[in-house]
Amino acid sequence: MEPILSVQNLNKYYGDQVGCKNMNMTLYPGEVVGVVGESGSGKTTFINSISGNLNPDRGKILINKDNEIINFLEISESLKRLLIRTELAFVHQNPRDGLRLDVSAGGNISERLMSIGQRNYGKIRQTIFKWLDKVEIDKSRVDDFPRTFSGGMLQRLQIAKNLVTSPKIIFMDEPTGGLDVSVQAKILDLLRKLVRELNLSVVIVSHDLAVIRLLADKIIVMKNGEAVESGLCDQVLDDPQHSYTQLLVSSVLQV
Amino acid sequence: MIELNNITKKFTLHNQGRTNISVFKNLNLKINPGEIVALTGPSGVGKSSILKMIYGNYFFQSGEIKINNYKIDHKYPRNIIELRKNTIGYVSQFLRVIPRVPTIEIVMEPLLKINFDQEEVRERAEKILLDLNIDKNLWNLSPLTFSGGEQQRVNVARGLIRNYPCLLLDEPTASLDNVNKDIVLNLINEKKDKGSSIIGIFHDESSRKYLNAREIDITKISHAN
Repeated sequence: MEPILSVQNLNKYYGDQVGCKNMNMTLYPGEVVGVVGESGSGKTTFINSISGNLNPDRGKILINKDNEIINFLEISESLKRLLIRTELAFVHQNPRDGLRLDVSAGGNISERLMSIGQRNYGKIRQTIFKWLDKVEIDKSRVDDFPRTFSGGMLQRLQIAKNLVTSPKIIFMDEPTGGLDVSVQAKILDLLRKLVRELNLSVVIVSHDLAVIRLLADKIIVMKNGEAVESGLCDQVLDDPQHSYTQLLVSSVLQV
Repeated sequence: MIELNNITKKFTLHNQGRTNISVFKNLNLKINPGEIVALTGPSGVGKSSILKMIYGNYFFQSGEIKINNYKIDHKYPRNIIELRKNTIGYVSQFLRVIPRVPTIEIVMEPLLKINFDQEEVRERAEKILLDLNIDKNLWNLSPLTFSGGEQQRVNVARGLIRNYPCLLLDEPTASLDNVNKDIVLNLINEKKDKGSSIIGIFHDESSRKYLNAREIDITKISHAN
């Protein structure tokens, strides 16, 4: 099996400040990679740089689309935008950043569909209902505005909005960040099911090691913009080799 | 077949004065298909560490571990993930699951991962839960609120629903009453008869005898320190 996404020696600077540097990652179909580290370690810069939200200064991002390798940083802007709408998806920590609050729930879900040229109203409506069902939002809410939704529902709506065009690679920045723990559990369960059913490949950023442990196959530990340790998720968390990872793992409170 | 050749394992605690704890030196071990090996020795000697090295949770400094001739190599996490999907099953001491996920779905998960038919998987999960005396009323509840013994049996059900060629068992009967202990031991024996290579830690001697396990005292085969 070939990786669906491969990041090689990626660097992003803000002036003289390091955003992230010498970052490498391979992501295979159906695999979840977790990126952890303290605030300011470069996690968000990294995920933004590999998802088209930021322009990295150096490095390579190779995306495998139907066995054709696409050099993401060297293609035209229009092709990049098309890829971002079809093959890639980005789930923000704050669902309000990823949704249009003045457009109905159904309208939010249909946006990506229409942007890739779907026009048949009946079909679009059907797809919207299918996705509301998948993320467990009652169908009767289809014409309601997101501002009437709870935080957990908003996050599920954002996930539906992103997955409706069957993207292969999903980027998530703290997807359970602002949610209370009971809602968090439900989102985690949903994400795991979707990954399995749709064979999604996911890069997920979180500062919560427990979330990463439950979702991720592999992990990258970042500090000061660099990866200090990476590998199999269980191994890095159970038997960390780097002093910073040891500090991170031993700092988690036990319930 | 599980093989450990010349394994060296140590822990370096960077934040606690760079303390080095040497666990194994020149550890050799082989578990054949259709065989059960029981690790013995006082606690803290590294019994669980051996299982965790085989499953890939623990890193080791030198030597090689082979599972049906595939090497465990932490440079290639992808291969370990594949091994876990298809070859190695692990029943850990404690249940670790996403809160609020129903018991039945937790037990079904290992088979759903390899694209089995939903209905067939459900039937198999129901059967093993019945075999393990988990009350039907509990199947749609999260096991996190269950008693210790029930949680352990859910863990066993999830680990034994498939026929893995290699099976790692960390005290799978520790908190079970005698009736349920015998049920679990019989399930383990079935896996052995189907040709699994099984390595485990079993607290009581009667279990080890019942399984007809080859006992290995770790203090006698590895010379750390």
